Amino acid sequence: MNNALCITDPGIGFYTQWIILALMGLSTWLVLLTGRVSLGQQAYFGIGAYAAAVVTVMFNGSLILALLVAWLIGVIFSAIISRLLQKLNGLQFALATLAIAELVRLGLSSWTWRSTHAKGYEVGPDGVHGFREIRWLFENQMGPETYLSLSACILLSALFLIWKISQTKLGLSIQSVGFDSELASVQGEPVAGLQTLTQTFAGGVGALAGALYAHQATYIEPAVFDVMLGIHAVGYAMLGGLATPLGPLLGAAFDLGLLEAARIFEGWRMVIFGGLVALFLRWRPGGLLNHAALSQIKHFFIQRRKPDEHSKFA
Amino acid sequence: MLDLLQRTLEGLLEAGPYALIGLGLTISFGVLRRINLAFGATALLAAYVGSWLHVRWGVPPLGVWVAVIVITVMVGFYVEWMCFDIADDSVMAMRRQSSVALGLDAREASVLAASFALWMQIEQVAVNFQPNHLHPFPDLSSKLNFDWGGIDLRPDRILVFLLTSGLIAGLSIWLKHSQLGLGIRALSSSQAAAQVCGLNVLRLRYIGTAVSCVLCGLASCAVLSMDGQVTPMFGMWVLLKGLTCALLGGLGSVRGVLGGAVLLGITEAHAQSLWGPIGRDAATWGLLLLALVVQTRPLKHPFFMQRRFE
Repeated sequence: MNNALCITDPGIGFYTQWIILALMGLSTWLVLLTGRVSLGQQAYFGIGAYAAAVVTVMFNGSLILALLVAWLIGVIFSAIISRLLQKLNGLQFALATLAIAELVRLGLSSWTWRSTHAKGYEVGPDGVHGFREIRWLFENQMGPETYLSLSACILLSALFLIWKISQTKLGLSIQSVGFDSELASVQGEPVAGLQTLTQTFAGGVGALAGALYAHQATYIEPAVFDVMLGIHAVGYAMLGGLATPLGPLLGAAFDLGLLEAARIFEGWRMVIFGGLVALFLRWRPGGLLNHAALSQIKHFFIQRRKPDEHSKFA
Repeated sequence: MLDLLQRTLEGLLEAGPYALIGLGLTISFGVLRRINLAFGATALLAAYVGSWLHVRWGVPPLGVWVAVIVITVMVGFYVEWMCFDIADDSVMAMRRQSSVALGLDAREASVLAASFALWMQIEQVAVNFQPNHLHPFPDLSSKLNFDWGGIDLRPDRILVFLLTSGLIAGLSIWLKHSQLGLGIRALSSSQAAAQVCGLNVLRLRYIGTAVSCVLCGLASCAVLSMDGQVTPMFGMWVLLKGLTCALLGGLGSVRGVLGGAVLLGITEAHAQSLWGPIGRDAATWGLLLLALVVQTRPLKHPFFMQRRFE
C-alpha cells in the first residue's frame, strides 16, 4: 500500500514523507492563493529532485548546496513558466501546467548521463529507469532523525516566510488577486506580476520537496512525479483548507493518517478514501480550515484571553 | 514518400476514435462546463464490466455495447451527483459560468478535487473487479486490409471515421435546430439567464450529462472493439486524447472536435515514427500546450469558423 510518493516508510521516515507531501501541498496552495489551480506542481518536484541528485552524486557537492541549487533551478523554471502562462486562466491554466509537467517528466525520462562512481558502480540519470544510488545521506552518516529535523526546518522556514509576507501590503495584494483578479486590477494592483511572483516562490517550494525526496528515497524515477502527485497536492490543499498555509499540512496528514488507518482495507483504500474526500468536499467545499473555521478559532482564543486581561485590572 | 503518405492516412483514420471521445468531453467540459476528471475512469469501469460480461457470461457484442453504454451513464450520474449537484447552487459558480472564460473559483476548484477523488475511487473499483492487466473485449476489427496502390488501410477505422463524421453532423444539427439543443446552448451561455427565462435547468443538465455519457460509452466500445482488449491505462488515455481533441478544436465546438482529432492523429503518427512512444506522448502534450497558449480561439478554417456548439 503506497502513498502519493509511491513509498511507505515506517517510523521516522513516515514523518519526513509527511513533510515532503506537505511542501508539495503548500506549493499548490500558493498557486491557489492567486486564484488559479495548478495540476503541474510535480514538474518542479521532478526538476528539484534531479538537480539536487546531480549536485550530490555527479559533483560530490554537499546536501545544503544541492538544496540551494534545486531551489534556484525550481525558481528560475517556475518564473519562466509563469510568464509563459500569464494570460491563461481557469481550466486552461490548470491543463497547461499539467501539460508542462508531463513534458518535463517525458524529458527527464529520456535523459541519460552515466558516469562511474569512485566505488566502481555506474551513477547518473538513466532514462525511464530514473536516477538511482543517491546515497549522500548514507555516505555522510546523516541519520533519519537529523534528516527529519532538516526537513522540518525547511517546512517551518517556508511557513514563517509565508506568514511574514501575509502581514505585509504585498501579502494583502496577493490575497486580493486571489479573491478577484479583475477587482484587484481595477484597484491598481499589478496582477500579472503578483501571480508570477507567488508562482515562482511556489515552484521553489516544490523543487525543495523533490530534492528532499530524492535523498530520502535514494532514487528518483519519472513515474514518481506523474499526474497523480500533482493532483494529490491539489487534494491536500483543498482538503486542508484555503484560508491558511497550515491547510495543506492538515490535508497531507489526513491522507497519510487515513492510509495508515485503512491498512485493514487493503486494496479498497482508494475506494474508501476517494468516496470520503468527495463527500467531504461536498459538505465543506472550502476544506477543513476554511475562512469561517479560521475565524471561529481566532474568536475562541480571543474569548479565552479576555478574562485574563480583565483580571489584570481587577 | 509512400511511407509518409501511409503514416498520414493512418493518423487521419486514428482521428475517428479520437473525435468520438472528444465529442463526449466537449459536451461535458465545454457545453456543461463540467471539469470532470473522472470521465476516463467512468469509461474504464464500464469497459471492464463489458469485458467481464463477454468473457464470463458469453454475452454477444451488441449486448456488451448496450451494457457498456448503460453503465457509463449510471457511473456518470453517480459522479454528477457526488461532484456537480452542489456546484451549481452557488451564486459565485453561476457568475463564473456566465463569463466567457472558463474561470475557476474556490467552489469549482473543490469540485475539480472531488472529481479527482472519484477518479481514484472508480479506477480502484475497476481494478479490484478485474485485477489482471489485459482483458478481452469483443473483437470486431477487420482481418483484411485495403491495399490501395501500396498503401494499407484498415476498413474498420474507415468505418469509425465515417460514423464519427456522421454523428458530429447529427449532433451539430440537433444542438442548432432542436428545442432541447437550444435549451442546452442557453444553459451553457448563462445558467442564471436560462433559469430566468423559465428553462428547467436541472432537466437540461441531466439530459446533457446523459448525452455526454452515451457518447463516452459509444466511443469506448468503438475503440475497444478495434483493439479487442482493455487495460487499466484506458481511463487515462480517454481523458487525455479526448481533452486534447476538444481543446484543439475549441472547447465547446462540436465540429471543431473533428479538426482537433485529425491534427492530433496525424501529429502522433509522424511523431511515433520519428521519435518512438516517448516522442508520440510528448507530441500530444506539446500540441495540447500549444493549443492552450496560442489558442483561446478555435481553428481558423471556415469549416470550424462558427459559433460554439454547432
